[in-house]
Order: sequence, then structure tokens, then C-alpha cells
Amino acid sequence: MSVNPMSQPPASAALPAVRSGAPARSLPDFAIFAAVVALSAGAVAFLVHAEDQRVILAALLGLGLAWAAAARLRVIAAVERGSAAHPWPARMVMAGACAAVLVVLRQDNFGLLMLATVLIYATTCLGLTIQLGYAGLSNFAAAAFVGCGGYTAAAFGRIEGLALPDAAVILLGGVTAVAVGSALILPVLRTRGHYAALTTLAFGVMFNVFLDANELLGGPQGLKLAPINLFGWDFSQDPVLFGVEFSFYANYALLCLALTAGALVLAGLLDRSWMGIRLDAVRLDEVAAQVFGLRVARWKILAFTLGNALAGMAGAVYAKMTGFIAPNNFTLGDSLMMVSIVILGGIGNRWGVLPAALIVVLLPEKLQFIQEYRLLLFAVLVILVLVLSPGGLLPRRTRTLAGGAA
Amino acid sequence: MSMIGQHVLNGLMQGTIYGLVAMGFTIFFGVMNVIKFSHGDVLAFGAFGALVAAAGAAAAGLPPGLQLAAALAAAVGLTAALGAGIARALILPLRSAPPLNMLLMTMMVGTVIREAIRLFFPGGTNPQRFPSLLPSGGTTLGGVFVRTDGLILMAAGILLIALVHHVITRTRFGLAMRAVAEDPETARTMGVNFARIVPLTFALGSATAGFAGLLSGLYYSEINYGMGLLIAVIGFSAAIVGGLGNIWGAILGGYLFAGLQTAVVAALPGLSDYKNVFAFVAVIALITWRPTGLLAERASERV
Amino acid sequence: MSAAGGVILEARGLSVRFGGLLALNALDLTVRRGEVLGLIGPNGSGKTTFFNVTSGIYAAAAGRILLDGRDITREPAHNLARLGLARTFQRARLCLPLSVFDNIALGAQERLPQGLVDNLLRRRSLARDIEALAEEARTLARLFNPDLARRLSDPAIALGMIDRRRVEICRALIGRPKILLLDEPSAGMTHEETNQLVDEILAVQRRNGDLTIVIVEHEMGLIERITDRCIVLNYGRKICEGRFREVAADPTVREAYLGPS
Repeated sequence: MSVNPMSQPPASAALPAVRSGAPARSLPDFAIFAAVVALSAGAVAFLVHAEDQRVILAALLGLGLAWAAAARLRVIAAVERGSAAHPWPARMVMAGACAAVLVVLRQDNFGLLMLATVLIYATTCLGLTIQLGYAGLSNFAAAAFVGCGGYTAAAFGRIEGLALPDAAVILLGGVTAVAVGSALILPVLRTRGHYAALTTLAFGVMFNVFLDANELLGGPQGLKLAPINLFGWDFSQDPVLFGVEFSFYANYALLCLALTAGALVLAGLLDRSWMGIRLDAVRLDEVAAQVFGLRVARWKILAFTLGNALAGMAGAVYAKMTGFIAPNNFTLGDSLMMVSIVILGGIGNRWGVLPAALIVVLLPEKLQFIQEYRLLLFAVLVILVLVLSPGGLLPRRTRTLAGGAA
Repeated sequence: MSMIGQHVLNGLMQGTIYGLVAMGFTIFFGVMNVIKFSHGDVLAFGAFGALVAAAGAAAAGLPPGLQLAAALAAAVGLTAALGAGIARALILPLRSAPPLNMLLMTMMVGTVIREAIRLFFPGGTNPQRFPSLLPSGGTTLGGVFVRTDGLILMAAGILLIALVHHVITRTRFGLAMRAVAEDPETARTMGVNFARIVPLTFALGSATAGFAGLLSGLYYSEINYGMGLLIAVIGFSAAIVGGLGNIWGAILGGYLFAGLQTAVVAALPGLSDYKNVFAFVAVIALITWRPTGLLAERASERV
Repeated sequence: MSAAGGVILEARGLSVRFGGLLALNALDLTVRRGEVLGLIGPNGSGKTTFFNVTSGIYAAAAGRILLDGRDITREPAHNLARLGLARTFQRARLCLPLSVFDNIALGAQERLPQGLVDNLLRRRSLARDIEALAEEARTLARLFNPDLARRLSDPAIALGMIDRRRVEICRALIGRPKILLLDEPSAGMTHEETNQLVDEILAVQRRNGDLTIVIVEHEMGLIERITDRCIVLNYGRKICEGRFREVAADPTVREAYLGPS
């Protein structure tokens, strides 16, 4: 053993299990990490703000080339090492980048709404990452679970004389999604492969047919919702911070950001614990997992529940943000989009969800001339990724829990 | 009484279409272990191809009989070519990919077909009228009015099922197909040309979808670009409930699904909007009860 | 070597049925504590089926299995690890994309914290547990191959066949089983590799005197060197039992392997 890991003070109090690389390299790596985060934030702000179609296309081309170059020069690996070596400073850098994007886009209503939508998708897809990427449960009804949350928020808003605080409503969105999902637990546990895929697929379609036919939930016309008021923080007011005035959508963007960050932390903690190993074993080899004492059903239920809870909470926030929901928002097509995001990002890699959600949600909105062709191009894009680079943008790395090469 | 008879006839027609679609799913699965979810959109593609061919033949002044023949040739030919093309270009190269990737890929192929019809067919966003090319009218049997064209279509559907079954069980091609399904490696060493059999199988399965598209157009007199999506989910459900890889299971599943829908409409007319909700709940319950389908042999996992 | 101290595993009238086929046909056998027992027989004689039914993957059609006197016939697979049973698989069943450490840790999972709070929130104690288990895994891996002990962070897919077998055996041993079922450890390896692995297994068994090993194997040289006793199966029944030499000389065994002469 060249280095005894126990003799070093942990790099941080929160995640001492994460340790990597030789210390000498960690500073340049961290600088690369910070530079990449800053550049990404700049690119996001620029793309969201830009209007000229040619400028956007040029920027996209540039980003594509930058990505290819980064992959070539192993920048992504350096970024991973840099952030793993200094987790807390890394988090500060990311928080700073998010704040900077918010400040730059402070008056851009549409831009902020788009970003918040991206984050809603990202949160749901992090739930899917836990289900699909970790435990290997196929879920083709993610949009339906988002819808459970959305309709819960709408339904509670319509009950006269019942003024639940919105924080409780958002939580209840998650609880409803879990409760509805629990009806699917038995079929999900008993079936495998394509049979399991069908149960969720059939459920997703059924959910939509049900909403369309249900008068109480507004039928095809849907329901209206009031804006969020979180402990007196009125989301319909334009906030003023340090003398700078923001659009009221900044409230939602901030809340969605918190939700996504929470989901990222949850997925990360799960992955880097014994539970991560157990979920992986359930996905990779159920029989071997059982033989070594894993209660497979228990871990599948855990993954399914956590994923649906995230989708439901995201749905409640989404419904309140847009102020209106209809069955059309939660179709099979949306569920497929979410699965595509997970695979496009690199299945099982929680960070991959962010760029993938950005691409899938933002591009069609920004490129006006493809509006009509968005679904067609999206489908072609996913097919290309599946054929050419099935690992996605950020392929998942091998988990290394135990300290380096001892 | 006559109402019930009418429901039964409708259900049988619907079941024939579902059974044909489910049969396609089960053929693809049997040979390649894939779910080709674009199957429903291939059906829509066949229906639109038939529409164009029939319109063209009508414009050329051909009699209805030849219009029908043109529509049939287009529906079957175009879908067979499309199915073979998809197999050759996308399914064979990706056959070692995880099942989830394959499923997502075929879903996206379906989206491409669906969107292409919507965008590039003139007025594709709106439902299209399908010409009636079969003799209209009908007879009254035991108080039930029976549409002549309905009878013809149902007979044609059942005939096609029998034909496909014959091809699979009684021909050299069917033998090669079953050999590939059983064990691709051994089939290859026995001289079966894998790279040729797979596209041909997909052509056969897709042609049944094209035929079902034509049936559906002729019976309901209307087609639309999105018709394939729900049919795909239903056909997939039927194939799963019956047991993947089992042709009789698929057909049973198809009629069962139609039967469930019809039963809801007949017994609870007030809830007929919910017929698919009930049918899907039943499907989920059925596969929970029999996780490998009603007619499937229990696959023992080799350890 | 053979500190025979009573029966640890016992099958009584054990039958397993696949459709019309009786893979095990009223099989009776006993395994004694601390011995190395070879389970041999022609292909399809029921050796692996015996492992699968014992480890709870298949259900028995009739009969009973007793582990340490306790009836485990209907025990679900996931309870058997806790009762001291561990196994390897015919085709090494590692989780290939996972690291060597993750694979080995799977074998210890009975004593690792199960709850959300312990896993997600008590990160300091989690880090300590991880280091302790990594040290244990290193010690174990070093018994087989010092190089393997340095490769705990590598994905299992990067290992050669013999190292994958070693990881599989480490995964089975880290749970400190009472009885270890080895299913064809020589499959997919060269003759030299097999010999090496046999020495390593014997070394482990010697260090850990009360460990009972049941081994299914076609490589008769291996069986001869490693086992204290052999049981020969044919058509799901026990046809012979004894030391390898005696068994190998038995006419019924010869007939089972070579067909009636």
C-alpha cells in the first residue's frame, strides 16, 4: 500500500468516501472544472437569450465542436477528477454559475420559463435514472407520474375552504405519484423485460385516456391553477434582490433549480453508497443478487418509489408554474422524450441528464424554423445517438468507492 | 338482442385487426427477440399508401375492383419494403444492444413515420376519407344487420392469418425462420442466410400490418396519421397477454382485447369513453397473473 | 484435512422437475462439515440443478434439504446467504461493468447497513465501513493474487478469466460462509490456470479449517487433487460414493460415463 487513505484527513466532511487522483494534479483539474462550468453557464445564458436563428445555429455548431474537442482531450475526465477532489468548492462554483445565469436572464420571461421547464424535465429524468439507470426498471409512463403531481396540485387548488400551504401541495404531488405508482408495483415486480415495459406503457396510455374522459378533471380542456406562494414568498411578484429587479419567473427557476439540485444530491448519495451497489446488482444480475442475500423486490420498490416521488413533485411545480394543465401535457410522447433524455445523457450518469434535457427541451423552442419538424428531427436525433453512440453524451463511469490503488 | 349482435360483430372486426397486428409483433419477437414498436405506424403507412394507390387508380378511370387491387398491392408492397428496410438498416446492426435501446429506437422510427405522414402527406394533419371499394349494403341475419363489406373484410383477415400460419409452419422459408428463431448460431452453420431471413421475416410481418391498415381504412372509411400509435400499444398488449412468440397467443390476445372493449361498451354505455381504460387495466391484471403470457411456455432461466 | 464433524448439508428424497423431465430423482446425499466434496457425473446428471435448488433458485418438487439441521427447502434464495451458504456459477456471473470491489462487496451485503439513513446520511461511518471492507477484500484477494488486490477499482470486465473466477470466489468467501458451492471453477480456463486456482482454493480451505466445499467439476485431475470424497450422479440419482480412486474404479460409474459396454 503506497498511500494509506485513513492517514489523510478527508477532503470534506460531507463526502469523505470520494477521493481520487494524485493531489498534485487536482488543482489544474479543478481549474479546468471551473472553466468548463463557467463556459457552460455562459453558453446556456447566450443560447436562451439569442434570437437570431443564424447566431443560434453557429453557437450550436461551436458547442458541438467544443464537445468533440473536450472528449478528445479528456477534458471530461479532468472535470470529473477536479470536482471529486474538491467537492465543496465545486458546489460553490456550480451555485455561482447558476446565480450568474439567473442574473443575466433576470428580465427574460420566456427564457426563464424555458430554463425552469428544462429543470422540471431534468428532475423527472433523475427519477428515471434511479429507476432505469440504477435498478433497471423500465418506465414508459414518467409523464403520467408527472401528471399525477400536476393534477394533484390542480385538484387541491379547487377544493373550497381547504387552503393547504403550497409546500405541502408539492409534497402531496409526490405522494400521489407514489400512491398511484404503488398500484403498478405488483405487475412491475412480477414481470421482466418487454412484459414490464408493456405494463408501464399501457398504464401511461390508460392515464391519458382516463384524463381525457374525466369531466371532473376538466377533460381535454384541463384545469387552471393559482401561482405558488411558498411561506409568504409570492411567486407572482417580480422579486427585487440587492436592488436588481427580476422577472417573477426567476422565482420558479430558483425553485426548480432547488428541486433538481435535491434530486442530483439524492441520486448521487444513492449511487455512492451500498445501495448503489445493490441497485446495480439488481439491474445486472437478479439471480446472483438474490443468492447473495438481496431482497430484489425491496430494492425495486425503493427505486420505483423514489423515482415516482421526484416525478410527482416536479409535476406539481410544473402545473403551478404554467398555471394550466391538460392531458396533452402528459402523453406517451412526453414519456418517450424523458426516456430519450436519460439515454441521450448516458444511462445511469446523473450529470448527463442536464445537457440532454437542455438539448431536448431547449432546441425546438429556440430554433423556430424547425418548430413544425421538431418531433421528426428529435426522433432522428435519438435514432442517430442510439446507433452511433449508445453510451450517450456522458457514459457512466465505473463506481470507485474504495480509495484509489492501495 | 340486435344491439348485442351488432356489438359482437364490431368486436370481431376490431379483434381481427388487433390479432393481425399482434401477430406481427410476435413474429418479430420470435425471430429477433425485439419489439418493433413502429409496427402501428407501418400500418398507418400502409393505409395511406393504399389511399394514394386507390385514388390514382380511380383517377386513371379503373373500375373499383382494380382500385381495390391497386390499394391492396400498395398496402402490402410498401409496408413489406419498409419493414425489410427497417430490419436491414436499423434492427440487424443494433441486435446486440440492450433491449431498452432497441425498444426506444423502434419507437422513434415509428415517430419518424408518423411525423413524415403528417408533414408530407397533403393535408396530413387532418383525418382522410378512405373510399369504399367494397359492395355496400348487407343482409339481416336473425335480427342483426350485417354489413357485406364487414363480412368480406373479416373473412379476408382470417384468411390472411391462416396464410401466414401456413407460411410459417409449412414452407421452407418458414422453416428457416423458425430455425433462426430457435438458435441463430446453429441456423447459420446449417446454411440459413441470417442476413436475408431477418429482413424477409420483417417484410412478412410488416405486410400483415399493411393489410390490417387497408382493412381498417375500408371498414371505418377514415384514416389519420396518428392511427398507428394506439393500435401499436394495443397490438403489443395483445401479443404480450397471449405470450410473446406464440402466434395463437397473439390472435387470442387480439380478440380478447377487442372483447373487453366491446363488453365495456355493451354493458356500460355511459362509460364507453373509458373502454380503453378498462381494457388496459385488464391487460395489466392479466400479465400480473401470468407474467409470461397466457399461452407461453414458462422459460426456465439457465444458471 | 478432513475434520469430519457431523453433517452440514443433507438432501432427502430431493426431486426437481422440468416439465416431464426429472432433473433430480429422489436424491439422497450428505455433506460433512469441513470436507471437500466432489460432485461428478455426466452432462445433465443433475449436478448444477442440485446447486440451484440448494441455493433457492429452483423449487423442489419433492423431498427436503437441510442446512445445519434446518429445513431450507422452501427458504427464499435471499435468506440462504444469511444461513451461511455461498456459491459461484458455471459461467462466472460477475456484474461486469462494476468494479472488483463492488462485486466483492455484494457478497458481504448481509452485514452492510440496509436503511436509507445509514446509507444516505451517515456518510462518515459509511466511509469507514467502505475502507474496512476494502481492506478485508484486499486481504482476501491477496490470498489468490497480489496483483488482484491492487485492482479493486478496475471494472470486472477488464479482468482475465482466471481473475474473474478469483473475484467470484472472493465474493463468495467475504460473506464468511459455512459452506461454499463451486460450480465448475475450471470452465473457460487453461490447464495451468486451473491448477493454480486449485492450489489457491486449497490454501483458503486450509486457512479456514471449518469451511465446507462442494465442487462440481469435469476436470478429473482437479477432483482427484482437491476432494476428500466424491459423489457420482447420473439421471438425477446418486450412483456411487467414496474416495475418488474408489469411485473412478467403480463399474457403474464407468458405465455412466462411457455408456453400457
